[in-house]
Amino acid sequence: MGGACSRKPERDYEDSPCRGLSRRFCKSGSLKWWTSSFAYPSVDFHLRKGDCPSLLELCIKKINEDIDRYNTFSMLPRDISQQIFNKLVCSQRLTSVSLEAFRDCALQDLDLGEYAGVNDSWMDVISSQGSSLLSVDLSGSEVTDFGLSYLKYCENLLSLNLNYCDQISDHGLECISGLSNLTSLSLRRNDSISAQGMSILSGLVNLVKLDLERCPGIHGGLVHIQGLTKLQSLNIKWCNCITDSDMKPLSELVCLESLEISCSKVTNFGISFLKGLQKLSLLNLEGCLVTAACLDSLADLPLLSNLNLNRCNITDDGCEKFSRLENLKVLNLGFNDITDACLAHLKAVLTKLESLNLDSCRIGDEGLINLAGHRQLKCLVLSDTEVGDTGLHHLSGLSGLEKINLSFTVVSDSGLRKLCGLTSLKSLNLDAHQITDAGLAALTSLTGLTDLDLFGARITDYGTNYLRKFKNLRSLEICGGGLTDAGVKNIRALSCLMCLNLSQNCNLTDKSLESISGLTRLISLNVSNSRITNSGLQHLRTLKNLRSLTLESCKVTAYDIKKLRSTHLPNLVSFRPE
Amino acid sequence: MRKEDTVKLISAEGFEFVVDKEAAMVSQTIHNMLTSPGSFAERQHGEVTFPEISTTILEKICQYFYWHLQFASGKETEFPIEPELTLELMMAANYLHT
Repeated sequence: MGGACSRKPERDYEDSPCRGLSRRFCKSGSLKWWTSSFAYPSVDFHLRKGDCPSLLELCIKKINEDIDRYNTFSMLPRDISQQIFNKLVCSQRLTSVSLEAFRDCALQDLDLGEYAGVNDSWMDVISSQGSSLLSVDLSGSEVTDFGLSYLKYCENLLSLNLNYCDQISDHGLECISGLSNLTSLSLRRNDSISAQGMSILSGLVNLVKLDLERCPGIHGGLVHIQGLTKLQSLNIKWCNCITDSDMKPLSELVCLESLEISCSKVTNFGISFLKGLQKLSLLNLEGCLVTAACLDSLADLPLLSNLNLNRCNITDDGCEKFSRLENLKVLNLGFNDITDACLAHLKAVLTKLESLNLDSCRIGDEGLINLAGHRQLKCLVLSDTEVGDTGLHHLSGLSGLEKINLSFTVVSDSGLRKLCGLTSLKSLNLDAHQITDAGLAALTSLTGLTDLDLFGARITDYGTNYLRKFKNLRSLEICGGGLTDAGVKNIRALSCLMCLNLSQNCNLTDKSLESISGLTRLISLNVSNSRITNSGLQHLRTLKNLRSLTLESCKVTAYDIKKLRSTHLPNLVSFRPE
Repeated sequence: MRKEDTVKLISAEGFEFVVDKEAAMVSQTIHNMLTSPGSFAERQHGEVTFPEISTTILEKICQYFYWHLQFASGKETEFPIEPELTLELMMAANYLHT
């Protein structure tokens, strides 16, 4: 992460990691992304006192510890061998050798997504599960077209995930063309799949969900899926080859509920083909070459509730057409050249809207008058707008608001008083230089806060006294440089914290680590650019759930972090320096 | 130990283990047998036969029952499992919902 830039894009919900032991999350490198979203990964905490493990759990744990002693589990009931398998994957102990014990175990789910070392040599045992196999995730593996051919006989397969499998091409798809029970197929970031290769998809008539995100070679190939009338979800985000002509076959997909075509070359004309999709409720057009004129087509979609027009060419011109989108609940208009005048046109839509993103739009205090009184609004993003204290006055009655982003606005400490009645707030982003301790003092009534971002705010040790009111905080960022060890002592009481970023506070020493050693729920910790040393690392031994540790520009070496990981922090998957 | 507070668990080979009812009821399966209404023979006679569970495994399971009670009362020790028993023990644990 390094530098002191704190500008964070809002993330789609679906991008936030949601699996127990999310290895995906470590690959993304930055934990900042998901701290800004609502969703948290469900983390399997170490057994708390009083939770007695069952005998079955104890046995599974024992097997996991000495897996090399076992040659086969095929005599076990399927649900037990499945649990053993899951545990091995979870603890990263499964290898191509130990996998052999699972031959012919009639397993149903092989979730090997992003698992290290998976290649063609694993496929024989995988296919030996035969007709029992329902779901396979091989994303990020080295499996090739040849390896994929083993799946031919797993005819009951419902779900297949081949995201980020660089070595799979059109030939591989041919091998799975007979798996007509498939309901979900995912092939993200595949450079080799061509329009012609997509012809085999026409036989997968039961597909409900198809994901071709970042497949740059599929232009012209969507014609092969126009017969897949059971399809409910299609993702062709970031396929920058997609043009208007690719939209035409989509008009046949009458069951489509979710369509993502962000960052393609689709224009207003292409959108006109979508008019007949009566069930469409989510449409993501982020970065497409569309203007407000496309709203004419969208007005014909009776169930459209979630519309993303981020980074499109929307201006005030034609914005009155928004009033026809009566069922919108989520609207993203970020990074468009729209002004307060557009918000006035949104009035009719606003009565139902639950989430509105106006990031980096030319919105000011005047425009926010139109938001006043809309208690159904839950999420509001106003970062990088011209909104100031007067504007906050109009928001003071939004009692349903759960999330508000005011980073890089001109709101000041005195304006924040207007927010003190918003007691439903869970997430508050005040990453702005002019915010100080006095602003924090005005917010102590917001005891339900779980996420508080004060990245660039000028908070000092004195201000940390107010933090103690926020007992439910799970994520906290204070990186303005004003904290010392004395201030960090006040953070000690925030026992729910999972993510803590105190980087850029260059006066923090090992004593700060001692103060937070009791925050055992921490998953992510960043204290970069401080005076932390190797000898301070000992205080982190208690943080058994820690997955990410960032101590850049400190007197800490990768060697010592690795040593700490091997002896005390088994869950640490991402660390810097590395 | 009063007779009505205990239960007799009988292994495949006919070996009998007399254990506290409280301990045996750590197993959800045994719990159901001993408490469900109706006239389960098990409930009337206070004994349960497990034709599928060997003596060695049943003994281990009884040890677990008492270990579980200890654990619940705050004494958190390690429960030893011999590697050669694990697979058979698992199947029994699965059956007994333990």
